[in-house]
Amino acid sequence: MSTALAGLLKGSRRPRDNDSAWLLDPQRRGVPNRDRMRHYDDSDEVDLCIVGAGAGGSVLAQRLARRGWRIVVLESGPFWNPDEDWVSDEAGSHQLYWTETRVVGGQDPVELGKNNSGHGVGGSMVHFAGYAPRFHPSDFRTRSQDGVGYDWPISYRDLKKHYEAIERELPVAGQHWPWGEPHSYPHSPHPVSGMAARVWKGALRMGIEMRVGPVAITNGVMGNRPHCIYRGFCLQGCKVDAKASPLITHLPDAIEHGVEVRAESRAIRVEVDDADRATGVVYIDRRSGERRMQRAASVAVAGYSIETSRLLLLSTSARFPNGLCNNEDQVGRYVMVQGAPQVAGRFPDEIHPYKGPPPEVSSEQFYETDETRGFARGFSLQTVGGLPIGWAEHVLADGHWGQALREYMRDFNHWAVMGVLCELLPLPNNRVTLADEKDAYGMPVAHMAYTQCDNDRRNIAYARELMRQLWLQAEAQDVLAIDRYAHLIGGCRMGFGPDDSVCDADHTTWAVRNLFIADGSCCPTQGSANPALTIMALASRLAERLGSRSISFQRAAWRSGRQRAVAAA
Amino acid sequence: MPRGDRYRNAEHLPNLRAGRRAPPAATLPRQRRGTTPQMVGRYPDYDVMDSAHTWDAATRRVVEARLRPRPGRRFFSDDEADTARALCDTVTAQDRDPRIPVMLMVDEKLADRRFDGYRYEDMPDDDQTWRLVLRGLDEVAQRRYGAPFARCAEDAREAICEQFSRGVLQGRVFDQLNCKRAWTVVTRAILAEFYSHPWAWNEIGFGGPAYPRGYMRLGEGLREPHARPEAVHDDPVRELTPPAP
Ligand SMILES: Cc1cc2nc3c(=O)[nH]c(=O)nc-3n(C[C@H](O)[C@H](O)[C@H](O)COP(=O)(O)OP(=O)(O)OC[C@H]3O[C@@H](n4cnc5c(N)ncnc54)[C@H](O)[C@@H]3O)c2cc1C
Ligand code: SF4
Repeated sequence: MSTALAGLLKGSRRPRDNDSAWLLDPQRRGVPNRDRMRHYDDSDEVDLCIVGAGAGGSVLAQRLARRGWRIVVLESGPFWNPDEDWVSDEAGSHQLYWTETRVVGGQDPVELGKNNSGHGVGGSMVHFAGYAPRFHPSDFRTRSQDGVGYDWPISYRDLKKHYEAIERELPVAGQHWPWGEPHSYPHSPHPVSGMAARVWKGALRMGIEMRVGPVAITNGVMGNRPHCIYRGFCLQGCKVDAKASPLITHLPDAIEHGVEVRAESRAIRVEVDDADRATGVVYIDRRSGERRMQRAASVAVAGYSIETSRLLLLSTSARFPNGLCNNEDQVGRYVMVQGAPQVAGRFPDEIHPYKGPPPEVSSEQFYETDETRGFARGFSLQTVGGLPIGWAEHVLADGHWGQALREYMRDFNHWAVMGVLCELLPLPNNRVTLADEKDAYGMPVAHMAYTQCDNDRRNIAYARELMRQLWLQAEAQDVLAIDRYAHLIGGCRMGFGPDDSVCDADHTTWAVRNLFIADGSCCPTQGSANPALTIMALASRLAERLGSRSISFQRAAWRSGRQRAVAAA
Repeated sequence: MPRGDRYRNAEHLPNLRAGRRAPPAATLPRQRRGTTPQMVGRYPDYDVMDSAHTWDAATRRVVEARLRPRPGRRFFSDDEADTARALCDTVTAQDRDPRIPVMLMVDEKLADRRFDGYRYEDMPDDDQTWRLVLRGLDEVAQRRYGAPFARCAEDAREAICEQFSRGVLQGRVFDQLNCKRAWTVVTRAILAEFYSHPWAWNEIGFGGPAYPRGYMRLGEGLREPHARPEAVHDDPVRELTPPAP
């Protein structure tokens, strides 16, 4: 479509084959059709059992339900009722995160918890910031193009139409996008906050181009989803229903088409028979403590990077003594984060960093390799939010406490914060394994080892210095910096063979042909884009492949499901 | 300097001052409305609780609960509680009332085992780290000043915390504990509690929960109709009084 026509149609085109936004209740948040949700017996062999109702799992369920698949989604966390369960408050949002202990190690350990993964129906997107950029075409072939990382067994072309579909469903708002493969967005860009305006001015002086968006936040009404009210609590769950999460973008439609989302159900084992076929998922009903098993003709794991690997490692058997699909010692390897330092700048006027959604404007001008910078691949530049506890951590990280900290905190309203996402490379020893420590159900918890390589360190140092320069150019009166990480990905990557990957281009594990990796774990690289849109697009593609029976195993399972349905009728 | 411009320049910021030290507390504006910790604040006429009636019920319940008296201590022992209170107040510079009861807030979090979702492989669980830190601080204080941490003078406590923050404390406990990581474990818990309290929001001029009202004035230098200006440089009363002949 021409850019002019796309511009004219902004905000007016309804997504195809997904009625979620129209199913929502304008007076109440959350999933309205939960009371008429279908229920399946544990002993009823469903066509597909999905572990995890997050970005990947929810899209997969919604797509295949529309093709008549009988699906149960097991979700460890609660089924949210946003009106009651979520609050506009940082400390009060603790329960949204996966806060059970995980052990972190390596030379550059990653602090997990509130910054990494969610727990509950909707997954981590319930409290994600809302940036929804695509990966660049180059992300799928960094090994052959840049000599680092890994080539995916699929390309940008394979995902393109799924990116477009998901962008319409979330929907994504932003200016025309000049980087990667240029494209436009279904909703117009949002007005920018004082903080974003500051970043923009500084960038201009440095010759850096920025664009408004891309954010998965309605600009205008979509179905029964209202406009954003710029209250800035996106990372605490959007009580307005303006920011996208699968809870409102995919699960209402999935449930309308017969999916059961079984909350409070912690999967602890994928069951496999002697012929190496998955037969169901063993889980604990967290309310009763009861151990149960859902039978299924096929299984998709979508628990996000750490928990997906952990579930496979927990599923040991005589055939797989070191964990399911792990006879080649690949499960849990190449887990990745992005380097995400933030630098804040101080200005004479009041900026009110807490107003407006944290994601506002961004730049991908530094995304690709530029040899003059001295490292491979690059980073993206984005605004981030400012709320009191987050700001206190920032000030503390710069070495201030006591009276000095209080003084910087009182100065809160004069600061604008900017962050980067640096692409860090996939390394085999950055890995999820099982720790000795056990969780409340007696299952070993995950251990995540993380150590940066030289390229990673150079990338982060360069990006941090660029931000400092940007603020100085913008005549900031003082700057404060914090080093941190963001976004998990990898652990069960897709690849070309079982010796260096866990699944194939169709997300099918090499060892068990009716077991699929349907979340961010399957990604071999992360680029410097935020990952949620890509995770959803991948799940959308997987659903298309399964639904159109392009994946060979599935023909039999799909038929058997259909035949049972016919026989039962 | 024109009125209201006191904070346009950045002379008050520790990075720009000798020894990276904050300006003396006595020079800070006093709060006139609402409560702030130690009654200092940048927005003397701002009380975030004035907006509480505009918040949704769930949020209001959570925030208002923080203003009610805390239930009794459950995690720290009597001795630990003294040290913990002294640590919390030193890290947040609470040298007089009114104080945000940070120690009790941390106690509640630890008693409920509300941890942050990760533990460094060379560290115990957060609750054990707290007990070790408190024991370590008393040990260092006894050795240096002949008194437990809580009974040391303010500058002695600050000197210990300064070394704690750089990860260089030594002693029976700290030799076995990754000191730098222990500092981040305890300070992050302290700050998360302190800055969840509406009194702290008053001090820094944070708008607070904004649902369902939201914001409508996004640009730089713009203020919501209900927001209050920053403290002014000069005292308006004194300014209006003609100088004595
Ligand atoms: C603070 C924060 C900000 C972010 N900001 C952005 C952003 O701006 N843009 C962006 O693109 N991305 C962002 N992300 C990342 C994004 O949210 C995730 O990448 C994405 O949601 C991951 O999708 P997923 O399907 O892999 O897993 P998730 O969405 O995390 O879903 C996994 C689900 O599986 C469940 N689960 C796990 N194990 C089990 C088990 N054994 N049994 C049953 N259920 C289980 C979990 O409870 C969870 O609900 C952010 C993340 C965080 C934490
Ligand atoms: S700023 Fe907008 S998108 Fe973010 S939580 Fe508030 S209403 Fe939702």
